[in-house]
Amino acid sequence: MRRILSSITDGKGFDLIMVGMTMLFLFALAGVPLVYNVVMSFQQVDMFNLNTFSRPFAGFENYVAIVSQPEFWLVIRNTAIFVFGSIAGQFIFGFALAIFFMLSFPFASTIRGLFLVSWVMPGLVVGALWGWILAGDFGVLNAILRGLGIIDGTMFWKSDPNLSIWAVTIANIWLGLAFNMMLLSVGLAGIPRDLYEAAELDGANGWQRFTTITLPMMRSTIGAVLALGLIYTLQQFDLFPAITEGGPANSSNVAQYWAWQWSFQLFDFAKGATVSMMMLIFVLVASIVYVRSTRHEVRG
Amino acid sequence: MTRVAAPKLLLILALALAAVYLFPLYWMYATSLKGASEIFANPPTFWPREPDFSIFPATWERRTMDTFLWNSLVIATGVTTLTVLLGTGCAYVLARYRNPWIDIGLFAILMLQVLPASVMITPLYVGFNQLGLLDYPRTAVIIAAAGKSIPFYIVLVRATFMSVPSELEEAALVDGNSRWGAFFFIVLPLARNGILVLAILTFMQAFGEYIYSKSIITTQSLQPASVGLSGFLGPNSTDWNGIMAYAAMYVTPIILVFVILQRRIVSGLTSGALK
Repeated sequence: MRRILSSITDGKGFDLIMVGMTMLFLFALAGVPLVYNVVMSFQQVDMFNLNTFSRPFAGFENYVAIVSQPEFWLVIRNTAIFVFGSIAGQFIFGFALAIFFMLSFPFASTIRGLFLVSWVMPGLVVGALWGWILAGDFGVLNAILRGLGIIDGTMFWKSDPNLSIWAVTIANIWLGLAFNMMLLSVGLAGIPRDLYEAAELDGANGWQRFTTITLPMMRSTIGAVLALGLIYTLQQFDLFPAITEGGPANSSNVAQYWAWQWSFQLFDFAKGATVSMMMLIFVLVASIVYVRSTRHEVRG
Repeated sequence: MTRVAAPKLLLILALALAAVYLFPLYWMYATSLKGASEIFANPPTFWPREPDFSIFPATWERRTMDTFLWNSLVIATGVTTLTVLLGTGCAYVLARYRNPWIDIGLFAILMLQVLPASVMITPLYVGFNQLGLLDYPRTAVIIAAAGKSIPFYIVLVRATFMSVPSELEEAALVDGNSRWGAFFFIVLPLARNGILVLAILTFMQAFGEYIYSKSIITTQSLQPASVGLSGFLGPNSTDWNGIMAYAAMYVTPIILVFVILQRRIVSGLTSGALK
């Protein structure tokens, strides 16, 4: 007994308690629900057996039902547009801004820091702002684009089925751009200045310096930023209820919102669990691909 | 690359970029001050013709924002308390050692960050329902949201602990402190600033939490401000100046805290995010 006590005050017991409590909590709130989700996706769940554990086994019925939904491929297409559009937009604009703010001028880091305000705002508020900016007849974006002579008529960002997924993607690019820029700035700051000076003496122009020094030196940062972009984009939920609610006619519905709709609008929890399982498999496959590709790149 | 001879020109360009980027925020405040007919002017007016500040108390009253914001405050405080209590010690131990077990723990925590809330909400809701936790909806949301924010907090606070030299702690142990004494009186005070910044960040995120609250809390008087906003927001909204006034009152405190603590928040975020 005394050994245990002294271990808690002076030895490994201290570490075990500190880590153990947290791990137990996370296991109960993430590990157990994850397993439960898998179980539910193979069950028949309705309002009558929601409170019991003995539910009829459904085999792959839920999966078959989800795949044969008429909107299934539409949702997959939209998720792909949303994920790749968001990551590409956030990364390209974020990288350009990060490089710009590496130039030396007064207040550079303060102004750069202000950009991050988009990231601390509640997602629902960001959605509300963009829902108003992207409004069809009275939206300010259309007015600006018309004023610049880019478009003639009115773009119905939220109600045109061809545009609605892009409306949410634009909002998400704005939301995540600053975070991307911040992480890329950290990577850029880590590149030794004298490399650029040496290259300049050798007569390399700006583009050559970018492709032969900046990009290779930034390889691991870029990998991490793209991976985080994928993680955060697949977690993005708040913009959908705020801007389009997945509509019109599912033209802006994505997997994460569809899963929620099954569970909390149609109260078919088994189907909701099934969609989330499919999404989770996609997340895991994507992260494995990412880990393997970065490892390969680092080895060179 | 850094020898451009016109820092003033660059500063103007930087301010212009920031203005373009932060335009949505300006537009929120500008719209909230416009009258009901001016918001539908075509082309839109970029400066409100007759700024009308009475929209703020009116919206506050009509949308019962005091109840909504109070609930947001309760939820954010609960989430932050739980996260700091459970996350700090764990982050410390994970920063203190390097061995395969620690690597496994870190990997597990990183993987937990990947799980989207929209995936977790279905099993959490059904499980909470079976445990009877849904009778205490705000507590249920606090527990669920803490489960989401703890991994993020641990990863970043761990980076703070890494920068505390372990010699100081060893000296305290030699002087006869217990592990607890060394942790609470030596290590924690040294890591105080980083922990504070990340606690504030956790608080701000929990203050805007939406999906768990929307799914779990069905009683309107217990819902937070994000759910309150979603109540009159959608593809067919028309009450835009009211929505923008609500949004402005909701985010202005967050924006103020952010601007004041900007430098610390940025360094707290970037120090750990890439390690």
